[in-house]
Amino acid sequence: MIILDCDDLFDTWRQQARWLLSHQINPDQVSWSVREDADLFSSDAHYPENLGPFQARVPLELLTLLQNAAQYCGEQRWSLLYEVLWRVSHGDRTAMLAGDKLGSELHRRLKQVSREAHHLHAFLRFIALPVDPAPKDLTVKAALLDMQTLPEYVAWHEPAHDILRTASEHFVGRLGRHRWMIATPKDAVFYDGQQLIHKRQCPDAWASLARNADDPHGELWLTYYSHIFNPARLNPKVMQGHLPTRFWKNLPEGPLIPALISEARTGKQRDGQARQIAERRGKVIRG
Amino acid sequence: MQLIDKLSILADAAKYDASCASSAAPKRSSEGKSGIGSSNGMGICHSYTPDGRCVSLLKVLLTNFCLYDCQYCVNRRSSDVPRARFSPEEVVTLTLDFYRRNCVSGLFLSSGIIRSADYTMEQLVRVAKLLREEHEFRGYIHLKTIPEADPALIEEAGRYADRLSVNIELPTQIGLQTLAPEKEMGSIKQAMQTIYTGQQTVLNEPRAARFTPAGQSTQMIVGADATDDSTLLHTAESLYGDFRLKRVYYSAFSPIPNSPKSVPLAAPPLLREHRLYQADFLLRSYGYKANELLSGPGDLALDIDPKLAWALEHRDAFPLDLNRAEPAMIARIPGIGIRTTQRLVELRRQRRIRYEDLTRLRCVLAKAKPFIITSDYHPRQAESTSVLLREQLRDRPQPQQMALWA
Repeated sequence: MIILDCDDLFDTWRQQARWLLSHQINPDQVSWSVREDADLFSSDAHYPENLGPFQARVPLELLTLLQNAAQYCGEQRWSLLYEVLWRVSHGDRTAMLAGDKLGSELHRRLKQVSREAHHLHAFLRFIALPVDPAPKDLTVKAALLDMQTLPEYVAWHEPAHDILRTASEHFVGRLGRHRWMIATPKDAVFYDGQQLIHKRQCPDAWASLARNADDPHGELWLTYYSHIFNPARLNPKVMQGHLPTRFWKNLPEGPLIPALISEARTGKQRDGQARQIAERRGKVIRG
Repeated sequence: MQLIDKLSILADAAKYDASCASSAAPKRSSEGKSGIGSSNGMGICHSYTPDGRCVSLLKVLLTNFCLYDCQYCVNRRSSDVPRARFSPEEVVTLTLDFYRRNCVSGLFLSSGIIRSADYTMEQLVRVAKLLREEHEFRGYIHLKTIPEADPALIEEAGRYADRLSVNIELPTQIGLQTLAPEKEMGSIKQAMQTIYTGQQTVLNEPRAARFTPAGQSTQMIVGADATDDSTLLHTAESLYGDFRLKRVYYSAFSPIPNSPKSVPLAAPPLLREHRLYQADFLLRSYGYKANELLSGPGDLALDIDPKLAWALEHRDAFPLDLNRAEPAMIARIPGIGIRTTQRLVELRRQRRIRYEDLTRLRCVLAKAKPFIITSDYHPRQAESTSVLLREQLRDRPQPQQMALWA
């Protein structure tokens, strides 16, 4: 058994896979693991460092599929990719297709990954940092954070897969020259107005800046959210399908949801109007 | 009145419009530019409310003061609701604030009719113009079009907005006469034509300014009057054909406070709305004709979906051999969608399709089973009558919690 550690980096894995393939090493003879576990198994086979004789040819689109599926965090993260690569390079292209047993797992992962990227685009919330009047303080603050300048907007997000680095490029197009930072329990990105900087390990100071940002004007969004809801159409099941509960805790509107549901259940399902509006004085227009 | 109070009134007044899509816009980016906003054709739902609906745009009315007296509308002039009016600048402020927070992907602005149709339309256009020109906003803008407004104003709106919509609300002239006396089918279709013409003008002119690149849409209310599904679907079909509408939205009539006697005070017909969306999807993406789904007057079945209903009525076309059948016919098998059809076609180029492949492709096998043949499967149910199959395949109604004070 060969145990490899690719440090969860696709390029490293790719080099390793290329080497394995060139020596015609079967998928069941190799596994990927983090280094601490690696001692548990010892490899008794010795292989030369240089590439072996087998020259694999695979379609370019497979590489894209593997690269995307590599963002998936879960069991057999890297070995599944090698198994797919092995089969396709030995002439069995069905391994790439969703109709195949292995291929269907590959496609399930691809779907999870793209869904998670979409979740980042959808459910991440930026908070504007207060504009500090003294530029000297700013420089000091920025230096403490290991940044050249301070971000204008910060966000805390908890993705289930390693999608932050690629998926966060979306916000470059969205926010123009504004500076922003996204912190997660794992990694972080900072856009300084010109380039996107990725940190594989989110600095503690960044995490705390993102998690503790004050939001004095958050009330407007909460008001909008409560009032665009139509209690006469209450359907929490569909909602949870689209907006999984694991995201609620980081969404400002998350804490409102249970109360909106229970209020709609206990009577407000008569019509679509929110209670606060029904209680206000109305105005008939006479022409 | 404080901004937050206006927001609560004017969002509450806007919730009856079903559309909140931010899709189909052209690719725009603010990278390295002043201003903010991007679009890439894919809509983003930034949140979901407990009614299961997507929140993609800031959807508000500019004002809910209204001269019209449409019976189904909470904002009709005879309705006793609190009223408010935003200034165009206030809407701009809210849009940009929500956009920077990543709460929305743009704005969907509509309005009650104040002073005149032209004046109201001018105000709507002004908001879009401020956003696009003063603030260099590149996010999504959807403007409601006031049908009676000057075509020149509608054309101006089309140059700023990604999408324009003219709501038909009721698909028959008689329905409009009874429930929306100030509206007229003629002017509604005229406005749709103006938008369509604007789109055609720039169609083959790559250098022309964009005109409603995300297309136009409309909404029909379901269940406010006696109009049947057949009329709704045939109307939708002709709107898709005549004006190349991107979408027709169906909005189950939601009871309104101080409901006038002319409209029902009952729970919104959500299942009926759902079946209409399914049927509409079959029209837009699967190539079904409205006549195939409902040839005469009447409603879609509630207990089975329209695709299954069609298959049960056309048993002579089934079972289909998945290893040979035309892709367009495979897509007509209940429980097998367009994506799965593509995947089956890809797979059968490599090898024969077997029954277990369908499990992996996550087909709804219970529905598909009686209608398919694979290299290792022939349906026993092929001999069952459609009546029997329907009994086996129909959706059972969810048990309902009894209301405490029914």
